[in-house]
Amino acid sequence: MIFSPRTWRDTRIAGRPWQCWRDWLLRVAILIVVISPLRAAPPRPVATPPQTVQTTQPLLCMHTRLIDEVDEWKIQRSLQLVRELGAATIVEFFPWAYLEPEEGHFDWRQADRIVAHAEAQGIRVIARLGLVPAWARPSPQDTLFGPAGEEGRGTTLNYLQTERFPDFARFVAAFVSRYAGRIDQVIIWNEPNLTFEWGYRMVSPADYVELLRQSYLAAKAASPDVRVLAAPLAPTLEVEGSPWGLDDLVFLEQMYAAGAAPYFDALAVHTYGFTEPPEAEPGEDRLNFRRVELIRAIMVAHGDADKPIAITETGWNDHPRWTKAVSPAERIDYTLAGYEYAENQWPYVDVLCQWVLRYPAPTLSYPDNFTFLTSDFRPRPIYTYLQAYARRGELTRP
Amino acid sequence: MRLRLPSRRARLGIGLGLLAVAAGVMLAYLLRAPERPMLPYGALRVGIDPSYPPFGLDFDGELSGLDIDLATALAGRLDVPLRLVPLGYDGLYDALKADQVDVLLSALRVDPGRMGDVHYTTGYFDAGQVLVRPPESGLDEMSAMDGRVIGVEFGSEGDQTARAWQRRLRVLDIRPFETASAALEAVHSGQADAALVDAIAARLWLRDHPGLAIAPEYVTHDPYAAAVRPDNPRLWEAIDAAIQAMHADGTLETILSRWL
Repeated sequence: MIFSPRTWRDTRIAGRPWQCWRDWLLRVAILIVVISPLRAAPPRPVATPPQTVQTTQPLLCMHTRLIDEVDEWKIQRSLQLVRELGAATIVEFFPWAYLEPEEGHFDWRQADRIVAHAEAQGIRVIARLGLVPAWARPSPQDTLFGPAGEEGRGTTLNYLQTERFPDFARFVAAFVSRYAGRIDQVIIWNEPNLTFEWGYRMVSPADYVELLRQSYLAAKAASPDVRVLAAPLAPTLEVEGSPWGLDDLVFLEQMYAAGAAPYFDALAVHTYGFTEPPEAEPGEDRLNFRRVELIRAIMVAHGDADKPIAITETGWNDHPRWTKAVSPAERIDYTLAGYEYAENQWPYVDVLCQWVLRYPAPTLSYPDNFTFLTSDFRPRPIYTYLQAYARRGELTRP
Repeated sequence: MRLRLPSRRARLGIGLGLLAVAAGVMLAYLLRAPERPMLPYGALRVGIDPSYPPFGLDFDGELSGLDIDLATALAGRLDVPLRLVPLGYDGLYDALKADQVDVLLSALRVDPGRMGDVHYTTGYFDAGQVLVRPPESGLDEMSAMDGRVIGVEFGSEGDQTARAWQRRLRVLDIRPFETASAALEAVHSGQADAALVDAIAARLWLRDHPGLAIAPEYVTHDPYAAAVRPDNPRLWEAIDAAIQAMHADGTLETILSRWL
């Protein structure tokens, strides 16, 4: 009877109130210890009937960042909001390093969750594959930089040696095979024209084409119907020999020269508007939304006119301090007008994916101003206007 | 249940244990690594991104702005020479981490995710969303906006915040405008009862347009603070104390008013 009032009365009557206080303090302390582990259960995903995406804009697509979400309900909520936006497609990153943490041992759990929730919302997934596990990277002694003695610390997660290309291709095959009939498009690597994305080595179109070739053949052997997309190149004007990367147009030309054509079914493209409106003229010496037309011209010149383009990253940023940003109003106007432009002018483009739905945590810097939802799922105004556009199919401004 | 005090022997053991802990702490203090000087390079090296007016501007290599004035005042209070280090916005935190600067003073938003890597001082400016309205209107907070018209910059943080309030109030008529200035102008001309804009836009506009005022209650908060490496707690204390003192004696408001 820890909480019996008699104890209080008895001790008080006995003339020893300090003892009573001490007893009660001890009881409160015990109570705190007992109840402190009892916290409200975290939200859980709720099973819902299969949904379909209602939209008037089939190009509408969102790049998501779900693979790092710890809470499953956040994956579900994100995809619900993608559906409610009117986007029928997402691009999601499926890192090799996460899915095959040990050679030959796969952990598909997180990928399975994402795919299942996307299916439940009626959303198609384009999978971007990359990121090298430690076991597939050279030991630090074999590399020029990095502290010795720690496995894999001498290289970055984008460092893949030529002799490890078959390992990556096997992973691609395993991924394609596991999700056959559920994920029908895979992107091989990301922005290989940046040294950062090529393990801080000088970029090499020929080496990337070899990686693409091996991955393509492995993917097709695993699932002949899968569509293999060549990596999107980063829009950049870097000249040959730059420590940062290589101009995307030059890189693509060199990919064709290295024999890339037979080894991709479609090309993924990143095109950002930066400070210019969507209809601004493209040029080899400038970066803007219509740079995709220059990329398309290279494809046509090399006999790839029939291959589609998937724009897997695009968008405008409205951060007040970033030099490549526009105002919030311009961001909305340009984004919506971008869909109109793509629909009317680019019949070869089958998706136009915005970077990015939301981040798991805010960066409190300019990347936040690419998002459509805050990290706590509050829709930014651009989400609301894009949603209204996808529902009505016409550009409107209040 | 009746509690008893520990026995004399147990109390003696506890006492000896505490004594041993105190001795250990004292020994660790005596054997600690020599303390790093507060300013090892003999000057207060302040990292600033001079591309964000009115906080930092660069006119042909000459830096000016609110943060530069604040840095000058801080160096004066600490009685040390000032060295301004212009940096790109993206490189601010890296420069601090790499010991290229002692402190960042560059309209930095307090980022809880970085608190393991940097120590933020007391905020010196709140750039949060504010209501701007005629001073006698009684519209001192968002809850008073029920049934009213609010002007916002289309697509901005103010637009987003107003939408959130629209769900809480019975009626809130949101009028989006192309810019924050246009939203404020709408209040001036009577098209809207109040505007919801960030404190920077509000203060800049009000400099040239008397007649309206910022409501005392901020709708959201977005404090700007200086950032110091965690391995230099003395510098953090000195700068934090100086900012608080400048706040108390009105120096800070004088600097803010010069630019905003």
